[in-house]
Amino acid sequence: MTSEHCVTITRLARASAAATIFVGLMAASGPAGAWSLEEAAAPYKGTTIRTIGEALPPLEAMDKLKHKFEERTGITVVIEMYEHSEAVNKVMLDLNSKRGRYDFILQPHRELGRFVANGHLAPIERFMDDPKLRNPDFKPEDVLYQGLWKEISWYEGKPYGYPFTALTMYLWYRNDLLQDPKEQAGFKAKYGYDMQAPATWEQYRDLAEWFTRPDEGFYGTAIQGKRHEALWYEWLNFLYSFGGDMMEVSSGSECGPIIVNSPAAVASLDYYKSLTAYSPSDTLNYFWDDVMVAMQQGKVFELIMWNDATYAVEDPSQSTVSGKMGFDLVPQGEGGKVGQVEGWTYLIPAYATNPEAAFLFIQWMMEFDQQLEQHMNGGASARPDVYAAPEVGKITYSKASMDTNAVAIAKPTIPESPEITEILVLELSNALAGKKSSQEALDDAAVAMNKLLGDCAPLKFPVE
Amino acid sequence: MSRGWRLAGIAALIAVLVIALTPYVWLFMTSIKSRLDALADAPVWLFTPTLEHYPKVFLDKAYLPLVFNSLVVAGTVTVLSLVVGVPGAYVFARHRFAGKEDLFFFFLTTRMAPPISVVVPMFLLFGYVGLVDSRTSVILAHSTFNLSLVVWMMRGFFEDIPREIDEAAQMDGHTKAGMFVRVLLPMAAPGIAATAVLCFILSWNEFLYALILVAFESRTLTVGIPGLVTPHGTLWGQVAAVAIVATLPIIIFTFLVQRHLVRGLTFGAVKG
Amino acid sequence: MTLKRRIDRLLDKGVGPLFLAPSVLLLVVLLLGPFVYMVALSFTDLSYALPGHDGNFLGFDNYRRLVREDPVFWESFRTTLTFVFGVVSAEFLLGFALALLLFHQIQRRRFVLTLLLIPMMLAPVAVGLMWKLMLQGEFGMLTHYLRAVGLLGPQTSLLGDHRLVLWTVMAVDVWEWTPFVTLVILAGLLSLPREPFEAAIMDGARPWQVFCDMTVPLLRPILALVVLLRGIDAFKEFDKVFILTGGGPGNTTELLSIYTWRINFRNWDLGYGATCAFMVYLVVLILCAVFYKAIYWRSGETER
Repeated sequence: MTSEHCVTITRLARASAAATIFVGLMAASGPAGAWSLEEAAAPYKGTTIRTIGEALPPLEAMDKLKHKFEERTGITVVIEMYEHSEAVNKVMLDLNSKRGRYDFILQPHRELGRFVANGHLAPIERFMDDPKLRNPDFKPEDVLYQGLWKEISWYEGKPYGYPFTALTMYLWYRNDLLQDPKEQAGFKAKYGYDMQAPATWEQYRDLAEWFTRPDEGFYGTAIQGKRHEALWYEWLNFLYSFGGDMMEVSSGSECGPIIVNSPAAVASLDYYKSLTAYSPSDTLNYFWDDVMVAMQQGKVFELIMWNDATYAVEDPSQSTVSGKMGFDLVPQGEGGKVGQVEGWTYLIPAYATNPEAAFLFIQWMMEFDQQLEQHMNGGASARPDVYAAPEVGKITYSKASMDTNAVAIAKPTIPESPEITEILVLELSNALAGKKSSQEALDDAAVAMNKLLGDCAPLKFPVE
Repeated sequence: MSRGWRLAGIAALIAVLVIALTPYVWLFMTSIKSRLDALADAPVWLFTPTLEHYPKVFLDKAYLPLVFNSLVVAGTVTVLSLVVGVPGAYVFARHRFAGKEDLFFFFLTTRMAPPISVVVPMFLLFGYVGLVDSRTSVILAHSTFNLSLVVWMMRGFFEDIPREIDEAAQMDGHTKAGMFVRVLLPMAAPGIAATAVLCFILSWNEFLYALILVAFESRTLTVGIPGLVTPHGTLWGQVAAVAIVATLPIIIFTFLVQRHLVRGLTFGAVKG
Repeated sequence: MTLKRRIDRLLDKGVGPLFLAPSVLLLVVLLLGPFVYMVALSFTDLSYALPGHDGNFLGFDNYRRLVREDPVFWESFRTTLTFVFGVVSAEFLLGFALALLLFHQIQRRRFVLTLLLIPMMLAPVAVGLMWKLMLQGEFGMLTHYLRAVGLLGPQTSLLGDHRLVLWTVMAVDVWEWTPFVTLVILAGLLSLPREPFEAAIMDGARPWQVFCDMTVPLLRPILALVVLLRGIDAFKEFDKVFILTGGGPGNTTELLSIYTWRINFRNWDLGYGATCAFMVYLVVLILCAVFYKAIYWRSGETER
């Protein structure tokens, strides 16, 4: 498959990072009489703004940072943290009842389409164009990765917010075991080539097989097989890498031919399913936090995981394998080097009671200092200058994260996209559970997607 | 009956008790185990207990207010259901009127209503009148099933009181309302207490209504438990600690009302 | 005095309606309201996800879709029936046996009985979590012992294997609710008159005969009742399964309530979701009506 229908995100212009690094630092020191946060926030002093998001390290980091904003502005920030699906559900309920409980929200970008289409969001331009609110030193068009920003927070050519996290998934493996001479010798004897970090899916499976030792409670890999969004996210790595995709479109807000049951897609699912043999017995009940624990506990050799979770596996206070890990792009198949874009974005609901104060907070969070702090505590900033900071360079997984971002493929964000996810989660789960063959499962998914989307999404690979 | 049979019976009973109670004992042990012991490959039965999970989840993670919310919700539901339901039950026990049993059946259907069917329209309707997100919404939702429980259970208790008592009271010059308050209610007090405890338990344990209708700061304990499934892995020690706090009062209550459980759980159809 | 009397008498007449009105009113507002609204919604296309689906009238389209185009719904329906039938029969048999055991063997029944009741009094969410903990594939206590005695392979787990998972979920339900059956049947046993049984034994009837010819027929109304009550509750099951499996793997444990949840809260297809919700409600109402008849049947028998 060619890549013309894939939006390749930002060629991460690392050179330009250095140029923009100072913008954030300069923010506080403008000439007298210029814009200041305190002045801008004065009319909203004493108000409370409320937000909601997934209980993840970046949000916990924001929770620890917010007091600085509160002290400077007199605006109180209340953060509600929920489990992933709950965070999405609560927002759906709130937006549709138009109560305006939340002054700004943090949501995964696949939700964008249905929010925009139903008129739930206030475009961020409304605040960006207001000189009283806009910090003239914050120039998103300069300081953010443009591709990421457009992918995560724009819909049909209009910005609705700024990226809260720029997420992607990549390979995690136990480097210490890879360097073990005994393992190396045994592996070579069995497979006839040198053991190394997996660059192809064949190598990935060989390694998974080699390290699977159920009697020692150790497994080659662990897949996130639970019927949950996590399953879909994980499989996308395989799908993209095998050269497949869900739809043939050039941007997330478009509808196009369905290719989710292409031969490449079926092959990727067959392969993905084969990994259950090298995974813990409960792998069909695992989602991200279970595989995380398995890795932290040193029970697994390799897996595909999220960049914003990497922090927790390298944290010696909760992980037995910190310092022993290696990180890299997911192995390559027909699709070449790929990754996926996922992001949580700041958005302001159309019904918010204090949208201006919310904007001031978001803008403040996007400043370099806060971004750096958040990034160091498990965030994934969308500012190149953060990645250029020396302390970020020292993080073991920074390179894998940036390399993956550079080749990441966009997902659908049309109003129907959450339901597409739901369809695929069910069918993938059916395939993994052995209820359907990969072909059957993906054919059924394709038909269901076609029924959902209608004429704009014909089946490229017809199902009889 | 022979000694052998008796011993076999006792053995069987012990086996049943072990099966019934082990999971709970295990939950309790998990709540006082270190993470290492809890996630050990082979089950650990002997270990140095730690109380770290309790303060961690209730104080650091601020789950204590959830206990308070559960108490307020279950307490208010109980009072509301009793105040509204007990007089109604009395009418069912003592009055004759057309369509009485059909009305009684309607009460039953409300008790049986599947929450999954009711919760969506309820959310939407509560949304129109601005009730969503407050504790009031859950309290009202929970009173639907508890109110009918009260009516069904208390009708039986009132019917157990001989009619002669009513007649004697009226001879003494009590009005009907006065008689109800001064004579019948005190006589039905044990029944009311048992009903109250059951109402409390049912509301305290409820999950789905609370999950959908409640806001962040008024979350109840049952709703809070899934929130402990974090990206750093499910914190089993803390999950177990919350589950223990959420269940221990219920077990105590069960001992308090066990005599009346049958009647309560069969809607008065079987007298225990 | 006479005036007070007159007012009192007037109030006496009003006691019935006055006492009953609040509960009827509350239930009508809180349940009949949502019920009617749900039925109305089921004829619309209301969706929170799709633009333009603002609750336009569809006629019977949703019902047509349910009957003709939604095999997953019917699969869930079958799963639910398997679940209900399986758990109710197992709970009935085990609960009955346990009631007989308690009735015959133990003097200090109360305490033991109350201990046995603990499973059914716990919050279903806590029950789900507790069993999830016990059944974890890697460190679950029960998993470990089942593997140790060879009942479970090293690479299978009770919640992860699509052939086992529905049975596992059912077993948890049996664990939770068997005490309820025991409790009710035991109450029934205790309420039976003693004399006929003693007379039968004196006449040389064997225990098995006494059981079949006397105990069961006399208990029949209570047995019917307990089966119906459990049937209705099992049909509504949500919390435990939601926590244990979320309906997976695949849709192996997707009960109707969970399917309805998914349509409403994952797809936000509220019109069609209301149609599914209405079907669940309908089945429960039918079971309720049968339950109600069963109670009348009972009072008819005891009055005879």
